[in-house]
Amino acid sequence: MRSNYRRHFLYAGILVVVFTLVIQWILDLSLPLPAIQGSAQSAAIDNLIGQHVWLIAGAGALVLVIMGYSIVAFRARPGEEDEEGDYFHGHYGLEIAWTVIPLIVVAIYGVIGTQVLAQVTAPQDNEMTVEVEGLQWSWRFAYPGHGEFQTTEMVVPVNQPLLLSMSAVDVLHSFWVVEWRVKQDLVPGIVTELRVTPTEVGEFQLRCAELCGLRHAYMLADVRVVLQEDFDAWINEQLE
Amino acid sequence: MSALAADAIEVYRTATRNNRMGMWLFFFSELFLFGGLLITRFALWVDEDGHIIRPELDQNVGLIVTVVLLASSYFMNRSEVAIANGRKRDFLVSLWITGFLGVVFLLGVVIFEWGLIQLPFIEHHIGPTDGVFGAVIFGMTGMHAIHVITGVAFIVVVWRNGRRDVYTEERHWGVEACAIYWHYVDLVWIFFYPAIYLIGHAVH
Amino acid sequence: MLMQLGLTRGLIYQAAGTVLGMVVAMVWRLLAGMELWDQEVVFVVGGLVGGFSFMWGVGAIDDWLEWCRGKATPLVHGPPRDKPAWTRYFSTDYNHKVIGIQYSVTSLLMLMIGGSFALIFRAELAQADLQFLGIGMYNKLIGLHGWAVIAAILLGVGGMANYLVPLMIGAEDMAFPRLNAFAFWINVPGALLLLASAFLGGFDAGWTAYPPLSTQGSVGYQFLFLAIYFVGLSSILGSLNLLVTILTMRPKGMDLFRIPIFCWAVLATSLIQLTATQAIGTAFLMGLSERALGMGFFDPEGGGNPILFQHIFWFYSHPAVYVFVLPGLGIISELLPVFSRKPLFGYRWIALSSLAIALVGFLVWGHHMFTSGYSQYLRIPFMIATLLVAVPTGVKFFSWVATMWGGRLRFPTPMLFTLGAISVFLLGGLTGPILATVASDLYLHDTYFVVGHFHATLFGGFVFPFCAAIYFWFPKITGRMYNETLGKLHFYIMTPAFWLMSIGQMTVGTMGMRRRIVDYDPTLGGGLIEARHLETTIAAFLIGLSILIMIYNLVTSAEIGVRAPANPWRSRSPEWQIPSPVPEHSFAAPLQVVGEPYDYGLEEEYVVMDESQAGHTQAH
Repeated sequence: MRSNYRRHFLYAGILVVVFTLVIQWILDLSLPLPAIQGSAQSAAIDNLIGQHVWLIAGAGALVLVIMGYSIVAFRARPGEEDEEGDYFHGHYGLEIAWTVIPLIVVAIYGVIGTQVLAQVTAPQDNEMTVEVEGLQWSWRFAYPGHGEFQTTEMVVPVNQPLLLSMSAVDVLHSFWVVEWRVKQDLVPGIVTELRVTPTEVGEFQLRCAELCGLRHAYMLADVRVVLQEDFDAWINEQLE
Repeated sequence: MSALAADAIEVYRTATRNNRMGMWLFFFSELFLFGGLLITRFALWVDEDGHIIRPELDQNVGLIVTVVLLASSYFMNRSEVAIANGRKRDFLVSLWITGFLGVVFLLGVVIFEWGLIQLPFIEHHIGPTDGVFGAVIFGMTGMHAIHVITGVAFIVVVWRNGRRDVYTEERHWGVEACAIYWHYVDLVWIFFYPAIYLIGHAVH
Repeated sequence: MLMQLGLTRGLIYQAAGTVLGMVVAMVWRLLAGMELWDQEVVFVVGGLVGGFSFMWGVGAIDDWLEWCRGKATPLVHGPPRDKPAWTRYFSTDYNHKVIGIQYSVTSLLMLMIGGSFALIFRAELAQADLQFLGIGMYNKLIGLHGWAVIAAILLGVGGMANYLVPLMIGAEDMAFPRLNAFAFWINVPGALLLLASAFLGGFDAGWTAYPPLSTQGSVGYQFLFLAIYFVGLSSILGSLNLLVTILTMRPKGMDLFRIPIFCWAVLATSLIQLTATQAIGTAFLMGLSERALGMGFFDPEGGGNPILFQHIFWFYSHPAVYVFVLPGLGIISELLPVFSRKPLFGYRWIALSSLAIALVGFLVWGHHMFTSGYSQYLRIPFMIATLLVAVPTGVKFFSWVATMWGGRLRFPTPMLFTLGAISVFLLGGLTGPILATVASDLYLHDTYFVVGHFHATLFGGFVFPFCAAIYFWFPKITGRMYNETLGKLHFYIMTPAFWLMSIGQMTVGTMGMRRRIVDYDPTLGGGLIEARHLETTIAAFLIGLSILIMIYNLVTSAEIGVRAPANPWRSRSPEWQIPSPVPEHSFAAPLQVVGEPYDYGLEEEYVVMDESQAGHTQAH
């Protein structure tokens, strides 16, 4: 064999580590999640995305570096135009390694993913139900247990676990508040549920995330997360 | 037998082998169409508690058309065996009966099952617009009927060619293709019939 | 002259057939005592009859009609006798090389049409607010863009497979040449119906056409459903043909683990196309009949279920993604050894990984529907199954870089595109697990992140490898070399532009940009979203420019390029052992396999021609 592979492996290995960090840094800049983590679910999901970014960086660096390294180190230099590469056509150990190791990684990420899913969808004891109705192209909200009224803006108390009970009148819609991260479709004929606990007081926007016809882009609603006493006051206001 | 003729037979056998594989791959593909319809039936025909249900249909119609179609498959098999043994008359007669039974099946479906033609002694029919029952019945039987119509057309073509001595004992891929296609369409009905008529609680 | 072309006759027949079908439908309605005009029924019957009339007019069913009348028709290869040779490309021709080129050129055409739709709405998205495009127009263009490029990709896959597979396995032609011609031509009425749907109000539910929106919209949906039915029929028949060809027509000594690796990719692809395509046919047929006949499959009023459509739709449409990319990955595996001058690393593993991806691909459709509202618990098995796809895909990546390791790499244009394909597909592939994981998908689903992800997979899995394949086999097809400078220019514009575009899309997606919206909130991402969108738009236009450079290169080089030798790349594959351009009857003598396909560095050949059998052509 003409090439000194041990040296090449060493250099490439160092570069993989360096590039994992570089790519991770680039991805962090390129994939800016919204600054506000508005719900109890947000942090868990953001962390999960962060973990995936590391996976992307590591696996990406591994392939890109070995590819880039080969392009530089194993290019046909002037005078080598007619030369052939080193003759080897497989290696069982390596093949098994890069089948089994990804399998383990996949299993780990599968477990993490399942745990986070369980965490963000877990029912809470003191849930407050809000009925959400989507129709072309607006939203309606009702507060069972707080009286008979419907609103076009959503007002909820902070740190109160919510159970959104959602239905669609005409076509598919999807409930999405960017700051709350989680999303759920509304389907005509069935009731879908979404659990979310707002943790930040403020004014947000609810956006429909499932193409629902002409004015889909503008199917928005205001969402206000307020303190409990403000919420109670608001309820009383609605009842009057 | 001259060398040229032997060569030609060899060519025909190779081509038939490829044709046969193509035909079976086509059936394999169609499996996903009919399977999709069956899945639709079992997904949509359930009540609130998740029990499988079915509409109340005229059991006599279902049973009769099923028997007719099964009988047609028997004659199709007779027909193929006959041509393979060089009994041309037998082949044509059996094929004719198959086609006839196919048409009877179609008429049974169109008149009695679908009620497209109004007859005084038939009172109530499910129409295609009658909720999921109507949609699924017409979807399944309609897709099956399209295949039966193609099959009858196939039989007519093979029958006409058969009268002109196109097929011989060695060379009758056309008949074989027609036969396996017919059996396949028959087989599909064997799954569709219980799915539509028998499985689940009848609801009115 | 024009009337001598099958295409012209086909178009006239299609127009006449459409009118005839509409009239028949109206007369039938009148006789049945219904109102004369029901646009749903009338247009469906018209479109259907028109489509098959095209096939009659173009001459794709002539031989079969003769067979029905009991007459055998000999298969004649070669240019038409009484017409100029070029007319065969616009008429029914049974030579797989002609059909392959028909597929590929139609594919490029559709790719440019579909791409132009994208450039229109990309220009609109460069700034927030509405500029020049109406909302309704935007909603229609996105769906049209989607289906036009999907049709283009299916055509491109068909083009590569039809041209290359028989050459690679040393077969005279495909197993069923007439079926092959039929499978190509049925795409033309399909594509016309698709584009014509825009004039009937278009379809405004995106390419996925989810009901109930799709069962309520304008009659353009019916033409969409019919178009996809025709294109799907092409997929089924074409894949059936390829499967029989690969399985039965290999020469002596070429067992399944000695076929060129691209054929393995085609094998896996064809298995998917043969089966899964029926599912989208079923889903769209249900949509069609719900609209035309009031059959309420998806209408909750009568007990129907809109989510059922999504299940059936994605049962095809997810495996379809592997139809789009597996042949491209096969091209990568095919080209890397040639330009690395080294055997393909782990041939069997790469071959079987294609099959593994195809099979696992049938179990993952649910990941498109994590937020749709189906059973909570089913989401976890779908997540795990989807993550598992990473394993065989990883095997491919690692085998590719191992193929390059220790080689003597050379970088003509096809190799550049191969490397570009790996890097871009890597981006697409690695952004998959984050979407496959339910919790992170709850945030990213239906955002522009998804758009960035699948554009990366489709560019890396199809567009880049397709370009590589075009440049690589251009000398074999035309007998002339392409212009290397222009080829490299194309690469050096398209690759960085694509990276910029795709990452730009992902960036705005994580900022909170939804998919399929004409207008967005400019305050998202701390007010930076508009700048990212502008970059993305500029990058998209650069990609368009680079494609034009490629077209110019191909057209001019076919006329004035340097004459190509038989084997400019010193490849071991069978198609390079015969003259360029490939003669009408590809192989003068049957092939015999004496070695391995990728043993670069060894003296012995892969295939030799059995000269003693020269002149003995395979029969059909």
